[in-house]
Amino acid sequence: YPLFQLGGPQLRIFRPNFFMLAVRPGVPQPEDTVQFRVSMEMTKVDIKNYLEKIYNVPVAAVRTRIQYGANNKRNHKNQRVKKPDYKVAYVQLGQGQTFQFPNLFPEKEQDTETQAFDDFKDKYMEREKQRQKGDLRRGGVPDWFGL
Amino acid sequence: MAAPGGRRLLWPGRRWLSQAEPAVSPQPPSSPQPPSSLYPPIVASATAKSTAAKRRRLEHFKQRVHAAPSIEEKLRLYGLLQRPKYVVYPQTFALNADRWYQSFTKTVFVPGLPPRAASAAAKAPAAAGVTPGAGTAPQPEAAAPAPARSAEAAAGAAPYLDVRELRALACDALLQETFYQHKPRPGLYRSQEHTPGPFLTQLVSSLAAYLCGRNPLLAASSLDLKPEVNYYWHHGEEVVVHGHRKGRVDPVRFQIDDNPHLQIRVPKQLPEVVPLESDLGDVPVINHKPSKLPLFKRQYENKVFIGSKAADPCCYGHTQFHLIPDKLKRERLVKANLEDQIEVVYRANGIASLFAWTAAQAMYQGFWSEADVTRPFVSQAVVTDGKYFAFFCYQLNTLALTVETIQNNPRKNICWGTESKPLYDVVEDGSVKGFNDQVLLQLVRFLLNRPKES
Repeated sequence: YPLFQLGGPQLRIFRPNFFMLAVRPGVPQPEDTVQFRVSMEMTKVDIKNYLEKIYNVPVAAVRTRIQYGANNKRNHKNQRVKKPDYKVAYVQLGQGQTFQFPNLFPEKEQDTETQAFDDFKDKYMEREKQRQKGDLRRGGVPDWFGL
Repeated sequence: MAAPGGRRLLWPGRRWLSQAEPAVSPQPPSSPQPPSSLYPPIVASATAKSTAAKRRRLEHFKQRVHAAPSIEEKLRLYGLLQRPKYVVYPQTFALNADRWYQSFTKTVFVPGLPPRAASAAAKAPAAAGVTPGAGTAPQPEAAAPAPARSAEAAAGAAPYLDVRELRALACDALLQETFYQHKPRPGLYRSQEHTPGPFLTQLVSSLAAYLCGRNPLLAASSLDLKPEVNYYWHHGEEVVVHGHRKGRVDPVRFQIDDNPHLQIRVPKQLPEVVPLESDLGDVPVINHKPSKLPLFKRQYENKVFIGSKAADPCCYGHTQFHLIPDKLKRERLVKANLEDQIEVVYRANGIASLFAWTAAQAMYQGFWSEADVTRPFVSQAVVTDGKYFAFFCYQLNTLALTVETIQNNPRKNICWGTESKPLYDVVEDGSVKGFNDQVLLQLVRFLLNRPKES
């Protein structure tokens, strides 16, 4: 972006590629910190204004870093395939708010019918495996092996 | 049993006989001194790549530090090995830094000042010059401010503290810096060193000179301008993440490098506020890595310094004065919607600076994490941004913060602190409006603090 100087025109950008994706942090973060993957062109000020004006979320502090995507994998033509770079933002919420990334794939509670069916299926598979194993006294040797 | 002659021929180096000589003949239990063994004591190797060897090297290092002949040698050995360490800044923009700093230094924060300071204030102005040293009884006196003020108002004579004179001193210093002296306009981020800095220096030096007669300790003190205070310590453990030392368990190292605006060092130590083993609260526990604060690692000299070298007679601390920098001023925090962080800035500054100062004082007396302090070290600090003053008092009860020494250590360090209060409202037309006497009196109390004269 061109640098703003005193008396110059106000910079206006129409339809910027500004997106924010809330992600689960790889390492445990403090309770008031939310981790986002944001567009590479966004700055800390942009992120703060985005959250405050669009989503009404009080933001106390923002820290960003750019994660370099590795370029080591090779395709079938032995050309290097690059994983894309992305910017990560750590946003600390204001007014004492906290955030915990939700568990998106919780264990479903099974009702008695499906539970009984699952148990029956497990037992059947076990019995089949035992039958295929054969005599334990032969120590895993197949039954066609012999004199 | 070979002949003695044959044995002598075979002696140098070789033992053909499977029967070795008995190393130590069993002594009767009544003998006073057992004979020294012919074999050296069997201990683990010192150079092998094993945990026993590591333990032995650690023991050897601890013995070296214990047996150091002088304080400088002890400090040199203590900070000999350089590794990446977290640099803790007392004046920081990080959110909720005071809780993190409390967990790094095992400090309990108690709001308000200890009652000893309040009772000393009542006695010092009220008592005549005959018994100046009787004012340090640690009894909480709820009516402390009222009799003090009435006594001062009643008697304007020399033995009593004259509030009018003190107020005049403070107002003179303030007006000189803000109104009478014409200075060029300050540049960007230089407004703190333009006006409040010189005002604070002038105020403290004139107050200290005025109160010298009342407090003989101030007469023997040393006032430092922009001194350096450093401290290096270990606390907790972590696994090294990357590098050639990856996977090893290392202590977490911290370093504080502080530059208070002013500092008063005295030859005698301030008395303890509460007994060494007292428990006044809980230390906040934070289970995250310090880098989430955010705190960053750097590797450089591990320095421990109180403001003067070990040979200086003024080796104990009395009061520090800190000036909040331009980037952490009230107006900037209010503009960024961070009103609740204003007090956090003051508290974090007080806790970190005072911990570093008291711990460095303790190290100058020979204590360290393996040789814990036997008496508490007390120091005071005033954190200000020119208009608002916050007062802190710190008692260091323990230096043992490393993983092994913290396990059976019930002692905690204690920090008392107030909220920031304005000294004046506004300066206009050559006069100070809304002067707050209480803040000035608290400052005077801090300066009058001295050990009990036995």
